[in-house]
Amino acid sequence: MDKSGEKGIPLKDQLWYGKALRWAPAALVLFFIYQAVLSDRLDSWVHQETFQYSKTQRMDAKVSSTLRAAAFLCGYRVLVGHVFWIKVIQYYGDVENSVDRYIKLYDYCSLASDLNPQFVSIYTYGATALAFHLHRIDEATMLLEKGIRSNPRADRLKYLLAAIGYQHTERYDLIIPVLEEEANRPDAPPILVNILANTYKKVGRYNDAIKLWKKILTNAQTNDLKIEAARKLQELYGMKPNNGTNP
Amino acid sequence: MLYVWSISVVVLCGLSFLLSILSYGDILRIFMDLGLVGIEASGLIVLMLGLAVTYTTEMDQKAIFLQLAKPVTRGEYLLGRILGFYLINALVILGMAAVVIFLVVFIGGGQVPALFYSCLAFILLEMFVLNTLGLTLQVIGTTMVGVVLYAFFAIFLGHLIGEIQWLLQMQLTPLIKGVLQVVYYCLPNLEIFNLRDRVYDPTLVLTWAQWQDVLLYTFSYSFVVFLIGWINLEKREFR
Repeated sequence: MDKSGEKGIPLKDQLWYGKALRWAPAALVLFFIYQAVLSDRLDSWVHQETFQYSKTQRMDAKVSSTLRAAAFLCGYRVLVGHVFWIKVIQYYGDVENSVDRYIKLYDYCSLASDLNPQFVSIYTYGATALAFHLHRIDEATMLLEKGIRSNPRADRLKYLLAAIGYQHTERYDLIIPVLEEEANRPDAPPILVNILANTYKKVGRYNDAIKLWKKILTNAQTNDLKIEAARKLQELYGMKPNNGTNP
Repeated sequence: MLYVWSISVVVLCGLSFLLSILSYGDILRIFMDLGLVGIEASGLIVLMLGLAVTYTTEMDQKAIFLQLAKPVTRGEYLLGRILGFYLINALVILGMAAVVIFLVVFIGGGQVPALFYSCLAFILLEMFVLNTLGLTLQVIGTTMVGVVLYAFFAIFLGHLIGEIQWLLQMQLTPLIKGVLQVVYYCLPNLEIFNLRDRVYDPTLVLTWAQWQDVLLYTFSYSFVVFLIGWINLEKREFR
């Protein structure tokens, strides 16, 4: 009870206040349990993203663990991610690191994307450097696939993956399933479908390519695309073996 | 307060400018991420400085005697302090948010992401929890340094809740597991309010159900902390 009340200054709600104070410990226990239940329930949607262990393991483990600790401890994971991203750019910009062909680049990009998964530039910059400069196609593909998983609406990453697969590798067995999955989405961009059709042609799957170009011809919204689809179909019918089966 | 706000704005602009020069990528994205960090950091600075300064005036210089001599109950006194502190804090946070919006929209020519306003509301809720916690620690604590340190560790460890939960899933001895469980439920789960890191996440769906849970958590945790502070204040003897 408030001491001022005892010294003669009347409190209007003295009775109510005393009762409230008496019930306070019980209310404390009840609300403590309630907040614990809520904390558990909310955790399922807050902590969705986890760090991935690097598949190449060329990076010093201390770098990874220190950054993770810093990011989680201060609660500013994205800020740590932005700062680390600058270090990755500096690593790639340092000529001395070209001696070992920037061996840690994939691991650094992967860690930067763990810290800041929605920063699309990490995937585009990293994958471009890995694929077009260093010719490490598998790592570029892994990075882009990771980026697409975190940013399903980032079309740039899909184009880049398709472009790398189409121009710089013979690993069509890896690229085609990814492209097919993306091309089958209702919001698949037309360019991506074109890249898939061209990839089918490149691996000799003429029937699949024809099927896809027919689909493009039917659904095309511009005359240019329709003309291109018709031209491609004409070309494919000319190339197709007479038995009409996929090799 | 105005100094803290002004310094926060200058630091935010300077850091954003520096990062945008050094980094590669969407400048406005970097600026928005930094802006959200700046908004929360300015609120935290005001809270910590406020706790340190008011402990000296209220407890060391005995200003609390004047307040309690008036026909105000100790519970009302604590509640009034929490609300007053929170309003000042909210003013700083909203001021910083206005600066971020102005710079992104009018200077950068960009757009504010859809989750920005939800994120801002979450920061305000987080600040409410931390204000209540800080002022309760002020009531319990016996030195200014102790109060600031307790508040500081509560804020930092509150962000580690996810890691503690991860540890709880490991094979640990019952004693360690028990201690971790107590820590897990006693610390404020600040990761609940962390929308900053996911403001551009297209997979994040924030429905009314989640809002409801976050609001209920905010007020139930704050109420528990307030009750602890109130009971302590009632039992405390001022000489």
